[in-house]
Order: sequence, then C-alpha cells, then structure tokens
Amino acid sequence: MELTSDHKTVPKEILLYLSPRLREIIEIQSEAFFCKLEEIRVRYGQPLLIRCGDEDWTVKPSGQATRDIHLGYRVNEEDIYRTIASISDNSLYAFEEDIRRGFITIPGGHRVGLAGSVIAEGDEVKNMKYFSGICFRVARQIPGAASGIFKEMCDAGNGDLVNTLIISPPRCGKTTILRDLALQISSGKGRAPENVVLVDERSELAGCFRGVPQLNVGPQTDVLDACPKAVGMMMAIRSLSPRVIICDEIGRQEDYIAVQECINAGVKVICSVHAGSDDELRRRPFIKDLLGGGAFKLGIVLSRSRGPGSIREIIRWEEHDRA
Amino acid sequence: MIGLKLVGISLIISGFGGWGLAGARRMDRRVGELRDLRIALGFLEKEITTMYTPLSLALQRTQEFSDLPVAHLFRDSASALEMKQGATIREAWRQGIASMLSHSALLPGDIKVLENAAGQLGMSNASEQSKMFALIQEELKLQEEKARDQVKSSRQLWSYGGFIMGAVVVILLL
Repeated sequence: MELTSDHKTVPKEILLYLSPRLREIIEIQSEAFFCKLEEIRVRYGQPLLIRCGDEDWTVKPSGQATRDIHLGYRVNEEDIYRTIASISDNSLYAFEEDIRRGFITIPGGHRVGLAGSVIAEGDEVKNMKYFSGICFRVARQIPGAASGIFKEMCDAGNGDLVNTLIISPPRCGKTTILRDLALQISSGKGRAPENVVLVDERSELAGCFRGVPQLNVGPQTDVLDACPKAVGMMMAIRSLSPRVIICDEIGRQEDYIAVQECINAGVKVICSVHAGSDDELRRRPFIKDLLGGGAFKLGIVLSRSRGPGSIREIIRWEEHDRA
Repeated sequence: MIGLKLVGISLIISGFGGWGLAGARRMDRRVGELRDLRIALGFLEKEITTMYTPLSLALQRTQEFSDLPVAHLFRDSASALEMKQGATIREAWRQGIASMLSHSALLPGDIKVLENAAGQLGMSNASEQSKMFALIQEELKLQEEKARDQVKSSRQLWSYGGFIMGAVVVILLL
C-alpha cells in the first residue's frame, strides 16, 4: 500500500488552518512533498516538523525544505494562537468535548491532536488550556488498500466473512485497512453488500465532522462517531442490525466482553489491536481468553516493510492452535 | 445695520446653543448605547454558553438582534471572521469596535472594557466564557451608572450652558 494522496488535499484541507506564516513557508513546497505528507507538528519554541513517510522534514524560514531539523522555522506563540483560533473557528467553547478527548477533527476527516496544560478532576479530563503543541494527521482514503486482506477474510467453503483481528504496531496502516474493509463490505465488492456498523471511538475511521463521515465508508455503513467501543457494539446490535461490526484498537476488558457478545449474536466482528506479532498479542491481558474461546478465526499481522499496510503474517487460529 | 447685528447675535447664540444641546444628547445616547451593549452581550453570551454557536454565526445573530450603532460592532466582527483570511477574534473584535466608534457616543473608558474582552472572547470553554461575560456586564453596568449620574448632574448644564455661553460671547463682542 503506497501512501500517496491527491496533492491538493493538504493545501486545500489542512494548510488553511495554519497561521499565515506557517502556511506561507509550507504552501510553496512541491506536489510530491504534499503527496507523501503524513503529519505536520507545530510545537511552541521548536522547529516545525513535517513527516513524509518514514522521514522527518522541516522547512527553513526561507521556505526551503530540509532534513536538518535544527535549521527549521521555530514556531512561536503567535503561530500556536492563530492556528488554534483557526481550527476552532475562534470558538473553543464549541469544541469542549473534542478538546477533552485531546483532538479536533476538521473537515476532510483530518485529525488535529492537541498538547497543552490539562485540567483534570480525578481521572477525568475537564479541559485543556495553554496549548503548546498541535499535530495535524492527514486522513487518507486509499481505495483497494484492503483488497489483499479481504480475500483472506472470506471463508473458503461458503464465502462468509470470518471474525478477523488486524494485529499491527502503530503507523502500519490498520486504520486505512479497516476503513477500506468497511467500504468494500458495505458496497459489496465481489459479493452481496452487507450492513456495516463502524464504531469510531476516536473519529479516525470515518473522519466524522459534526457527525457526518468525511471519508467514504460505503453506502450501507452506519457510523457511531466518538462512541466508546464496548457501548457502541452493544448499541449497534440492539438498534442497527449490522451484519458486520468494525472497530479500531480494542484493548480494555469491556471491549473483549462486547466482542464476545457480538459474536454470540451472530454478528461478524473485524477489529484491530496493537501488537507486533502473535506472541506479543497473547501476552496482552484478556485477549488470550478471547482467542482461546475461538472468537477470532483469522489474524492478520501488518508491518511497514513495503510501506504501511504490508501483510507480514496471516494466522488462521484453528489450524495454528491444532498445530 | 441693526438687522445684520441681530442676525449675527442669533447665529452665535443658536450655534453655541446647538453645540450645548448636542453635548446633552450625546450623554443620553451614551447611556442608551451602554444599555444596548449590555443587552447584546447578554444575547451573545447565551449563543455561546447555551447554544454553542460558532463565534462568527453568534456575532452575526447578535448583530441582527441589536440596534445601531452597537450592531456595527457585531456586524464588522462577524464579517471579518467570515472572510476566513486567518483573522483572529482579537483582530475582528477590534475592527468591530473601530467601526462602532465612528457612530457612537461611548467614551474611552467604555471602549477599554470592550477591548479587554478581545483576547478572551471565544477562546476558552463555556464556563470560562460565562465568567468573562459576567465581568464585562459588571464593568459595563458601572460605566452605565456613571453615565446616568453624569446625565443627572451635567445634562442641564450642557442644555442651557450653550445658550448662556453664546449670550456671553455676544455681550463680549458688543
């Protein structure tokens, strides 16, 4: 899976949110630069950082891109203030919930992570102020990114989908894969279309802006945006009659219980989990029981060896366990 | 000759008198504008803290709700934000104040209260915004009370003072 996108996406959907000075020095970069751009990091007093694939770049005050980070334009307070004002449309109060979660989703489904002074009460984050860092993550739609995986997920006998776990370390393309799986299952690529529910706790899968998916997740997909996974899975079963439920990064005990409930209800579950291999996965609490109970039949381990979304290993648990 | 003198006298007295009356009217207008400002800011506060309306739209709605010249403040602030040229609320609000000032009877002390809001408007959560609005309302209320006192104590002075001053000038000239 090659990480490229329309070269107009970044200038049209992201740069307009940056402070005028930052925009001025970034917008003169080449189209190839924008195609590979994955992240823009703006940290107070630090050089501007731009991640393109596996490489970190910066831009000099003159606008010249360089890999020597120390030569980069140093972000000042005005840049942070103007960028925050622009992202929030000068209305931070309207984004209280998002700020509590640590990010704001902007039109186009791109996620803007925030760092600053967190105001907490007990375990609960109440607010954030004195922003010191902003991270723009470019949301990418790569049609066909999951085609290779999708074939593996269909039962050889009856063609039904099997419950699948996408196992991946961070930044290996699992979100892009899950998004494309939703699109393919929902639009019925090579098979009958099926109702899909995306439980998108972190607004990453569908990139919802004010509840509306900004990325194409298919015609028969319902999105529960910003909904806790365990709650969302149960809500979906009760009210949306899904054939398939897709969610990102399960990890808490309640997530595993909800996955088991869905499987018992005859709904197919596709979800991702942070781990680098089957061994690492089995060391995670709760997952061992879930795998032992035969909840998932298929595990697909991703890596970045040939770019994000590369399949490193396919595990068929029944055969694996028998062996 | 006498006729010409009489015309001159009446011009001087009515000129000074008009100046005095305008001063008295400005005092009345200041009280009215401060009251209008407080009502409009109350409306804006509700839009922000209850409806969570984005600021440019909240300012636009407040402009529709308010009377002139206070409406200029909200109209120009909203349009500066709507242009999406990277203007912050601080800049947009100051632009709105400048636009209102050219039609207003407010004094520098009143404007100072509004300017203090520029850096905070919109840029915190709803409860912080609520506190900020409470503070502005309190300060504007004080300004309004001062303005009312000034009307009571100086209105008549300005109303009649202009004519009296005109008469004094005429006597001196004669």
